[in-house]
Formats: sequence, C-alpha cells, structure tokens
Amino acid sequence: MTLTSNEIGSRHAVTAAAAFFDAYRDRDVETMVGLCSDTAVFEYIPFEMWGRQRVMRGAGKVATIGKALWSGFIAAFPDLTNTVQRITADDAGNIAAQVVLAGTQAAPWGTIANQGQRFSEPHLFVMHTDDAGLLDSITAYWDCAGVSRQLGHLEVD
Amino acid sequence: MTASETGPAGEAFWSHINDRDVDSAFALVGEDAKVTITPAGILGSKPDARKFFEQTIAAFPDIRFTVVKSFTTDDGVTVTEVSMEGTQSAEYLGVINQEKHCDVDQVWLLEGQAGRIGAITGYWCQNQLYRRLAVKRLDQVAIV
Repeated sequence: MTLTSNEIGSRHAVTAAAAFFDAYRDRDVETMVGLCSDTAVFEYIPFEMWGRQRVMRGAGKVATIGKALWSGFIAAFPDLTNTVQRITADDAGNIAAQVVLAGTQAAPWGTIANQGQRFSEPHLFVMHTDDAGLLDSITAYWDCAGVSRQLGHLEVD
Repeated sequence: MTASETGPAGEAFWSHINDRDVDSAFALVGEDAKVTITPAGILGSKPDARKFFEQTIAAFPDIRFTVVKSFTTDDGVTVTEVSMEGTQSAEYLGVINQEKHCDVDQVWLLEGQAGRIGAITGYWCQNQLYRRLAVKRLDQVAIV
C-alpha cells in the first residue's frame, strides 16, 4: 500500500497525539512537555478562577502554564488515567482527540476540597503538530460541572 | 465520506444555525444521526439535537455562534470551535431567565455519513454557562 502525502501528514499527527496521551497515562509530565514545541500554545477553556478583581484562566504556553497545571492535576489525582476513544487528524496537522480522563482525588484541586471521590469525564482536545512532528498547540474542552458533581463540589465558583 | 464532502456540510450547518434556520440546518443531518451533547445531558438522535438548538435559539434570541477555528479530518469529521454568545430571555436547561448576557466557548464534531451529517457531538463547560447565567449551586440550578 502506498500512502499519499496527505495520509502521511495526518498519520504523523495522530501518532504525536497518541504518544502525548500515552505519556499522560503514565503521568510523565516531562515526556508530555517534550512532545511539544518550545513555544507550544496551551489553553484549557473551562479552567477559570474568578477572584474579586480578575479572572485567572488556563491559557498561556505549555512550558509554563501547561506544565504547572498538569503537575498539579496529577498531584491532586495520583491515579489519573485516560482512555483514548478516538484521534482523528487532517493533512495540515490539525488533530481532534476524544479522551476520557479519570482519577481519584487525594488532595485539594483549585477550589475543590478533597472528599476522596472519583471522576470520569469526556474531554475533547484540539491539537496541532508542526513540521517537526511536535505539538505546537493544545486546547481542551470538558464539562467542569460534571467533574465537580462527581467530586462532591456543588458550588458554582 | 471524505473530508472534502463533509467540510461544506459542516460550514453550512453553522451558517443555518446563525440564521436561526433550524429546518435548513437539520436538512443536512441524517435521520439515523447519533447525538452526544454531554453538558446538556443529551445522548440520543436527530430529534434530540434539533430540540436542543430550537430551545437554545428560543432562550437566546440574539444568539451568535462565531466560528473560531474549523477543520475537516481525513475521515470526514468537521471539528468546529465556536464562541456561543447571546442574552438570555427565557428559561434554558433549567436555568431561570435573569436576562444575563453569556459567552461560552464550545467545540462541535459533525461526522459525515452517506453524504449527510451522521453524528453530532458537542463539548463545553456547563459550569461556565451557569456562572454567566448567575447560577450559584449545581444542585439548585433553578434557584437564584
């Protein structure tokens, strides 16, 4: 079988995303970051913490905000795992990954106190790979209300 | 279905929704379409998705879905990141109307099948929607 250049491009993108979620399943943040370019853009859309004068959002770079959030999330959910349902891509390096993240809370996470509860929530990651096969953009969507309910946190902060 | 076949249908779907033309949008959707809109608690079929968009448009008469990014994958899934923005004017998903303006980022997957949209999947954060509509607790959505 001969692959077209388009198929090769999309396969490389799928492979890069799969490697990322393998590392995430291993809770190996260094490898996760290593699969991203140095200036990779990071945005966790639902992540926002409302203070009195400002809103802190989960947006910035993988090397700064992303790495810190992943490390903190894994610390709060030491058995954090993921199940990849589907990864699909185009020949321009755009990727959509449907992934279920699950874990048992062992420490406070943001405003959510630890009640030792477990969550399992579908996520959609929109990603992009550069010409070197590194992820240069990661955006994630999920329903925080679903996660909060499962963890016993019912306030809409 | 290839990417080139699905892409225009995905674009047309959002164009019709922005025109509040649910009939035309759902003319693009197959009768056996599988629908998963987890934040709204919907796991069903075409009529469920149609009802969801009808209720959304009715609750937010000035609603606008602004496409932030869209691409169609090699296996025919159109991925569209949108910003949903509008002003509440009726009860919505159990939330009473307080005439709040809201903007919520969403992503939708429209999957091609036999020349039509064969699956619709939507993701967003319902907590963000509740926050903007002034809901205080997840177990008391209808209480101000």
